[in-house]
Amino acid sequence: MIEIYHLHKEYEQGVAALKDINLTIDRGEFVFIVGASGAGKSTLLKLIIREILPNKGSIKIFGRDIVRLKNREIPLLRRNIGMVFQDFRLLQDRNIFENVAFTLRVTGASTREIRKRVPLALSLVGLKEKAFKKPNELSGGEQQRVCVARAIVNRPSILLADEPTGNLDPGTSMEIMNLLHDINVRGATVIVATHAKDLVDHFQKRVVVLEYGSLVSDQERGVYINAR
Amino acid sequence: MRVRSLCYFLEEALKSILRNGWMSIASVGVVAITLLILGSFMIISINVNLFTEDVKEQVQIVLYIDETANEETRLELERRLVSHPDLEEVRFVSKDEAMERLKQKMGDQAYLLEGYEGEEDNPLRDSYELRTTVPEDITAVAQQIKNYPGVGYVDYGSGIVEPLFQFTGLIRLIGLAFMAGLAVTAVFLIAHTIRLTVYIRRKEIMIMKYVGATDWFIRWPFIFEGSFLGMTGAIIPVLIIFYGYQAAVLWIQNNIHFIPLIPPQEITTEMIKLLLPLGVGLGVLGSVISVRRFLKV
Repeated sequence: MIEIYHLHKEYEQGVAALKDINLTIDRGEFVFIVGASGAGKSTLLKLIIREILPNKGSIKIFGRDIVRLKNREIPLLRRNIGMVFQDFRLLQDRNIFENVAFTLRVTGASTREIRKRVPLALSLVGLKEKAFKKPNELSGGEQQRVCVARAIVNRPSILLADEPTGNLDPGTSMEIMNLLHDINVRGATVIVATHAKDLVDHFQKRVVVLEYGSLVSDQERGVYINAR
Repeated sequence: MRVRSLCYFLEEALKSILRNGWMSIASVGVVAITLLILGSFMIISINVNLFTEDVKEQVQIVLYIDETANEETRLELERRLVSHPDLEEVRFVSKDEAMERLKQKMGDQAYLLEGYEGEEDNPLRDSYELRTTVPEDITAVAQQIKNYPGVGYVDYGSGIVEPLFQFTGLIRLIGLAFMAGLAVTAVFLIAHTIRLTVYIRRKEIMIMKYVGATDWFIRWPFIFEGSFLGMTGAIIPVLIIFYGYQAAVLWIQNNIHFIPLIPPQEITTEMIKLLLPLGVGLGVLGSVISVRRFLKV
């Protein structure tokens, strides 16, 4: 589903963020990308949703090299990839329902579809009762659940999460990770960039370790290797 | 564009205008003030032009014929005037006609002229009224024909005509420079104001990009917002100009009679034709410029 070959990314200052990355992720997998800050985890996710372009290499998603996508094709790619952020990025002036509906609205979904799918997504993350509250009335964990609901409401086949538990306490972090696991069980490919060692070790999933931009380890049922 | 999307764009634009209440009012205010100044200057400029044209129409050379010249010299003079390349109109005014005109001008006091009528008693002279093709050439032409045989003297209002032409030329130049400067300032201010409303919503735009909205889907609400703000900003000066100009015309007509003015209805039509598209255009331009920077995600 995602095939990455000889991927190389350098930022303007000449710093190599990723060096010769080769990685294949199959449909329905759950993958942790781990590494210290600056190891290249976020860069890798940004490349997958084509927020940035690599200097060398290719990224094939659904069999298509997304490096060669035309600008107008990018939205279509992103409708198939959900994104969860460390800082939630919710719209504070809208209620939870509207925040989740946002994904559907911008893709031109009908009101009927929105009324059907948003409650489904909200009940999946356990927030159906809080649909009409504003984000600032929710706890951090609940806000992250909204962010997850927004990412999955249009049923993307890939879900990317960039440090989804970075701003949360350990108990809440576990809940969010369980939620992402549930989503994976329901069929989505889930890729989580994190440096939460306890969680990674707990779930015993595939672990890809990045260090200074290089892929140093890739294990099925792995644990967090503190490389640095 | 689908109807559903259109409704969504309009709704978003309206919501955004209300959400950014003060900012929206500021945008409308900027557009309104700029277009009001622009419109006012246009009106002054148009009227100065009209006045200048009017004055130009009236500018003429009066050539008085030397009384001692014989018939042959007179005919030769007329031939030279008629064939002069810079003269558009050559009209002979006999001294009888001149007397008639003087009587009309004097109106009730025409009786004072009694006794000066008739071939022998008329003290006035035969003359030619000349109009130059280009009004500004009047001085040069007058200087030239002054020396033709049979000419008594020429009168072309020297000392009045030249400064007047200089003055109206200057006013027109200042008006043009001012308007150009103002138009640039307007685009700048509007783009800046709308950029602020876009900046407030940069997070929303970023999320839209992440969840797969097309660039046009993101742009449209801002374009509607910009055009709506621009249009509202244009309607205000059109109204102010209409009522203000009407009052000004009334006052001027009652106090300074000789100044020709363009009728208010005509001006308003012109202003609507000019200011409405300009307001909408400025709003749209401001939106497009402002959104562009935030679409690069």
